[in-house]
Amino acid sequence: MIKTDPWRRHDVRDWQRKHVVHLHRRAAFRATWAEIQRDVSDGADVAIGRLLDGKPRLGVPKTFEHVSKALGKHAVARGDVRNLQAWWIYRMLAGADPLRERLALAWHDHFATSQLKVRNLAVMHQQNEILRQQALAPFAQLLRRTAKDPALLLWLDAETNRAGHPNENFAREIMELFTLGIGNFNEADVKEAARALTGWTVRDQKFVDLDVRHDSADKVILGQRGPWRGDDLLRLLLDDPATSLRVAGRLCEEFLGAGVADEVAVAALAAGMRENGFEVRWAVETILRSELFFAKTTRNQRVVGPAEFVIGAIRALEFGKPMPRTTLLADALSRMGLGLFRPPNVGGWNGGEEWLSARALVARTNFVSGLVTGEAIGRGPLDALALVKRHGHHSDAESCIDFFSGLLFGEPLPPLDRTQIANGLTASKPDEVARQVVALLLASPAAHIS
Amino acid sequence: MLTRRSFLQSSSLGAVATAMPGLRGAAAQAPRSKGRVLVVVELDGGNDGINTVVPFADDGYSQARKKLFLKPSSLLKIDDQIGFHGSLKPFMKLLQDGQLAVVQGVAYPNPNLSHFRSRAIYYSARRDTEDHIGIGWLGRGLDARAKQHPKTSHSLYIGGGAPPIALRGHRAAASSLESLSDFTLLDAPPVMSSDAASKKRSLQELVRRNLRRADETSRRLEQLVKATKTEFSYPDVPVGKRLELVARLLRAGYEAPVFYTSHGGFDTHANQLGSHGDLLSQLATSVSTFLADMKDASLGREITVLVFSEFGRTVKENGSAGTDHGTAGPMFVAGPAVEAGVYGTTPSMTDLRNGRLKVHVDFRRVYADMLEWLGLPAAAVLGGPFRPMGVMQRA
Repeated sequence: MIKTDPWRRHDVRDWQRKHVVHLHRRAAFRATWAEIQRDVSDGADVAIGRLLDGKPRLGVPKTFEHVSKALGKHAVARGDVRNLQAWWIYRMLAGADPLRERLALAWHDHFATSQLKVRNLAVMHQQNEILRQQALAPFAQLLRRTAKDPALLLWLDAETNRAGHPNENFAREIMELFTLGIGNFNEADVKEAARALTGWTVRDQKFVDLDVRHDSADKVILGQRGPWRGDDLLRLLLDDPATSLRVAGRLCEEFLGAGVADEVAVAALAAGMRENGFEVRWAVETILRSELFFAKTTRNQRVVGPAEFVIGAIRALEFGKPMPRTTLLADALSRMGLGLFRPPNVGGWNGGEEWLSARALVARTNFVSGLVTGEAIGRGPLDALALVKRHGHHSDAESCIDFFSGLLFGEPLPPLDRTQIANGLTASKPDEVARQVVALLLASPAAHIS
Repeated sequence: MLTRRSFLQSSSLGAVATAMPGLRGAAAQAPRSKGRVLVVVELDGGNDGINTVVPFADDGYSQARKKLFLKPSSLLKIDDQIGFHGSLKPFMKLLQDGQLAVVQGVAYPNPNLSHFRSRAIYYSARRDTEDHIGIGWLGRGLDARAKQHPKTSHSLYIGGGAPPIALRGHRAAASSLESLSDFTLLDAPPVMSSDAASKKRSLQELVRRNLRRADETSRRLEQLVKATKTEFSYPDVPVGKRLELVARLLRAGYEAPVFYTSHGGFDTHANQLGSHGDLLSQLATSVSTFLADMKDASLGREITVLVFSEFGRTVKENGSAGTDHGTAGPMFVAGPAVEAGVYGTTPSMTDLRNGRLKVHVDFRRVYADMLEWLGLPAAAVLGGPFRPMGVMQRA
């Protein structure tokens, strides 16, 4: 029996609109019509490379980083988490590097930290910047920077962890959630790890390592004895293969969806990561260029999260200029279950089918209704008809359905769905019809799956 | 633009499940559902029990509390040892009317001072972290009932976010609702029917099904909104609005035996005096209005309200005119089925353990009362026998 490489490359000759739309729905926030056309024409290697390099978007203003910085500062000064949420949404919507923002969101879920306990927006903002900067870096770098960042330390009570009075919260979550995962360590390891971490604390919103608080005696962690300090603990965790398995599994879930990559594939990816500097970018590239990623059995098998749903819709419809009211978008995401900077607990968001509760679906459907009228973003109505015409399509109902299904799903709708959408159109004026088509497509089951 | 009327699938779809099982029977003239109802109000953050049921006769009180000292003349004296915070007039009235039980000194052995850990203990009714597996006491209790009574073994959480672990069981369904507007579809698009040929359970099918349920839930709730209004005036604060929503749902015949909500803001590490008084006032007014509303509704169902917090607070005040995380505190049980009175020993302000109040009553003894009252298996749920406090009237 021939053993085939689970990560063998996708055949680049098989490259159509449906592959491009899939790529942007899974690894970015959808793409505009022009971006899709360009990527189909430029081929798989270039299109995927552009995404990895952080340059997939057309028309990103030169002033973006400057504006983002100002918005971030302002949000922190105002002290309302809603403004910080709005800042991040601005980045997702208007920034140049959507893959990085998708990863920042995935890392926010992984290193889940909540403003509700930390109560310090400057610190939450700083953590977010670290997650973004280190999003594609070697995992060792991401882990080290995050573990020594005030947000995580405050969230996990690191400051109460001191020699003689260990607080296990930080040690436990580092091992259980951020690196090894349950079953790959025991309670003794947690206790010893807590001792190794004594001394790490926060002073004036900065990380400090206080010798006087550190328990300097020997510890035995994961079978290794030594006078371990915090950095040593991180090294031990990073060296353990369980961590690479867990990170590889995380990335597979993020881009492929739950249960798509089997144990063999995850193990192979983890092994590859270990051989390649444990670099996240290497793993993401391997996934995105793979046959598995573009397989029919992978496409349309993953629930679209709230951020992708909301921001993707606005992007694809080219409805981002003038800038939507991002605080309204922040509220919409919260109603859909994604309170940015406020994960429900240290385990982050469960995601998957949990995004499809009745409440969340009502929120999504209401968002869609409000999007086409403009109310959901604080602007005037969407000129869907102009979009259709601008990209060379006819303005009758059938042509609108063709255009928007191509834009939003990359391929024609199943006949049953198409008929139901066509039957659902009650408007008579062409511009209303075009808007209705958009609303019906974005509220249909296919829009919640990618 | 899009109107629901044009698009509702015809009745050939058959009965559609809603996301909130209790809506099954709910309608303008719902047949009155029998059975008892427990409403849990969780005080979020750690309520300062010392300034709630005040041990004014204990010398330790004036020694420990300076800025946070409540003058005995401001208190509503229950007896010659303890008195309610002055903001708890409605609770005093409930006590006098035989509708309030006050259980003092409640917590569990070796109290944990972390919000997350202590809450997990109260939710699961298990002391050890390794037993915190995401299943809660009410979830377990309703699981036990689910086999015999599948239609009345669910709960409803009123608040933002997902239902708390207290309500999670293996089978028992817990839904959540913050306000009726959560389910108000502004413009309902057509609900896509399934491809009858595709029987297999795919993600697409799941989404279709959930969309249908969302639509159905929205419709039913819309009817409910039209059908029920309450004459009673609840405080215009979250806990008041939430209890008002529970009242409306009950009046409409919502079938859940358990409702759960929270009243937040009790983590008073600084400047406690004003905020604590307000929170207590809001609590007492909301609960007593709710009970009066339910009495007026004559539902023929007994309703009991349980009030608790994940821990109490420190004996001594801190340097910021507040208090830090503590141990024991009072639990309250209110309603017509209660055996009114004061239970347990008032924790001493001087005879302490590790500088904090001693614990006299394990909270699971009050949980045992609640579970027995609801006809759920207390020992199985609590993981062992806990002698009930006896706060409920003998049937």
